[in-house]
Amino acid sequence: MTDVYQRDIGKVMINAFALLLVLSYALPYVYLLMTSLKPAADVQQIPPRFFPETISLENFNTVLGTATLPKAFLNSLVVAILTTVLSLVLAVPAAYVATQYRRPITVLFLLFALITRMVPAVSLGVPLFQLLKTLGLLDTTTGLVLAHTSTAVPLALLLMAAFFEGIPKELEDAARMDGCTRFQAFAKIILPVMKSGIAITALFSFITSWNEFLYALLLTSESAKTAPIVIAEYNSVYGLAWGPMTASAILYSLPVIIVTLVLQKQIIGGLTFGAVKG
Amino acid sequence: MKKLMSTSLVAFLAAGFTANADSINILVEGGGEMLQKAVAEKFTEETGIEVNFTVVPYQGVFDKLSAEIASGSSSFDIATIDVVWNANFADHVEDLSDLFTDNVKADLPAALLADATVDGRMIGMPTWANAEIVFYRKDLWEDADNQAAFKTEYGYDLAPPATWQQWRDMAKFFTKDGMYGTSVNGLNSEEWMAHVLQAGSPGVIVDDAGNVILDNDAHVEALEFYRAPLCEDQSVPDNALEIGWGEAQNLFYQGQTAMMKFWAHAHKLTPEDSTVAGKVGVAPMLAGSAGIGGIPGPWYNVIPSTAENKEAAAKFVAYAFANNAMGIEAPLGLAAANSAYESYMGQAGYEHFGPLLDTLGGPATKGRPIHKDYQELVDEAVMPAFQAAMECEDNVAELLAEAAEVAADILD
Repeated sequence: MTDVYQRDIGKVMINAFALLLVLSYALPYVYLLMTSLKPAADVQQIPPRFFPETISLENFNTVLGTATLPKAFLNSLVVAILTTVLSLVLAVPAAYVATQYRRPITVLFLLFALITRMVPAVSLGVPLFQLLKTLGLLDTTTGLVLAHTSTAVPLALLLMAAFFEGIPKELEDAARMDGCTRFQAFAKIILPVMKSGIAITALFSFITSWNEFLYALLLTSESAKTAPIVIAEYNSVYGLAWGPMTASAILYSLPVIIVTLVLQKQIIGGLTFGAVKG
Repeated sequence: MKKLMSTSLVAFLAAGFTANADSINILVEGGGEMLQKAVAEKFTEETGIEVNFTVVPYQGVFDKLSAEIASGSSSFDIATIDVVWNANFADHVEDLSDLFTDNVKADLPAALLADATVDGRMIGMPTWANAEIVFYRKDLWEDADNQAAFKTEYGYDLAPPATWQQWRDMAKFFTKDGMYGTSVNGLNSEEWMAHVLQAGSPGVIVDDAGNVILDNDAHVEALEFYRAPLCEDQSVPDNALEIGWGEAQNLFYQGQTAMMKFWAHAHKLTPEDSTVAGKVGVAPMLAGSAGIGGIPGPWYNVIPSTAENKEAAAKFVAYAFANNAMGIEAPLGLAAANSAYESYMGQAGYEHFGPLLDTLGGPATKGRPIHKDYQELVDEAVMPAFQAAMECEDNVAELLAEAAEVAADILD
């Protein structure tokens, strides 16, 4: 009885701690939401109020009432999806080969991918600008997708390499013995097993592109401009339009939240992938 | 209006450029697009040259233009830049001296002309200019009881504050019934810099010869005055270090302060649902021993050296200045030319133009140093001392002396 009681107390404490942790993470986002629902005159009250006195959708109407933000949202979505797809297409087979057919050069390859993550993005801004200008890809979705892919691929490669490490080489060997070609073994046997890993890599690639600011600022003007740039425009030299900015930020966070919820099972699977080995 | 038109015509013709381009691209901050949109449409109508705006966030103008210049080629024929970047881009933009005819020069406040000049070259044409002026609650100032009580207490009539002493007196007087007289902006130093000029300093932070003057008597005197409502009079909220322009504006709009110093354009943008709607009066920036003085906040149209359509760009720059008044109908409602502002004088809703012109043309008004290290000087030398002063403990002269040493190190 005492053991059960102690176990229950322990569970309650763990849950309370988990709740506290979740609240501490969620609080800024909830405050963002509350601010977006305040009328213009109440957005910046002194002293600040957490909850709106009256709920107003005027900030949402403001941001959705212009053509700029919806267009930028669409651009962000297209760029993020294409970047994710391209990154996975390049990174998944590369990571598989680099981990399953280990040679000095594949180790160097992964090391090089790691090094590219250490290069500050700003230092690549001007070279990328020149490159895309030469190719006539400035202010185009294609140009921005290529730029984003250049940062998303190393991340995807490293993530996928970590996931492939947990796959026994014998799995491919067994498939080969059953008559699969190397590619068939990869496509039909290995990839389905890696579903969780691919999901989590896709999510990170998507978020990398979705939130990216610097390249979008330097490499686009009007046609391919993404939402982070438009949201930042609410911060002008004469002040910050908190209402529209928070409303835009809430809207902009929704796709990532939805994708995370949809892929929840795979993500959790991915995070615990290889955690329990026999 | 006639003066505006004649100035416009002369400036436009004097430009004397031929332009063969079909279109030009302008890099601009959000509000700046609105201010130039109308004139751009008229320009296209008259010349057939399309004007495309690329709108980016405030800091994005600097970052994007810097990257383009570094790459050696630019997608932009014109960039509309904040005055604080003039020194940074001076070596990479065209000299527009030819566009500054006598009529153009005569139509601009001297401070804006000075800010446009870097190493003897006129690097940009002012497109709009702003300055902090005094905002006050007309209903409180016009109240007979307040007028009588103020006269009894301070011995002179209650009128919009014009001097440092009046500012302090009125701030103290209206600190009652849950309201503060005003607020002290502890997050931005520009307002204090305006007082430095009013106190007779030859400049802020550094003089024209590049000598550090951050600890001269005017800087000290102005900082003592600036923090007095906070440290001596208790006529402002005590969280000055949490108050920037946005917060000061909101305190005023919510009826929690009786007056504020703020950028003039805000008069037109007073929210209709705010406590003070319809009750806001405006007056020129305060005067010190050197007279009215303000820190102008102008933006300039510059033509990057890497621009592809320089002639068409120059034509637009001249045309935009010649038709400068067209920007006034935009939300921010700002212009640069005196004649543009004068053409709206007397119209309802534009009461702030008089005080703005008085401030921009004030005898002590002067721009911030046109120096590549300006931002570093502010961040590393000015702000630590300025914000330490807001703690009300340290000696202002000593704080500024230390700041001056840091500034000298930066410039060395």
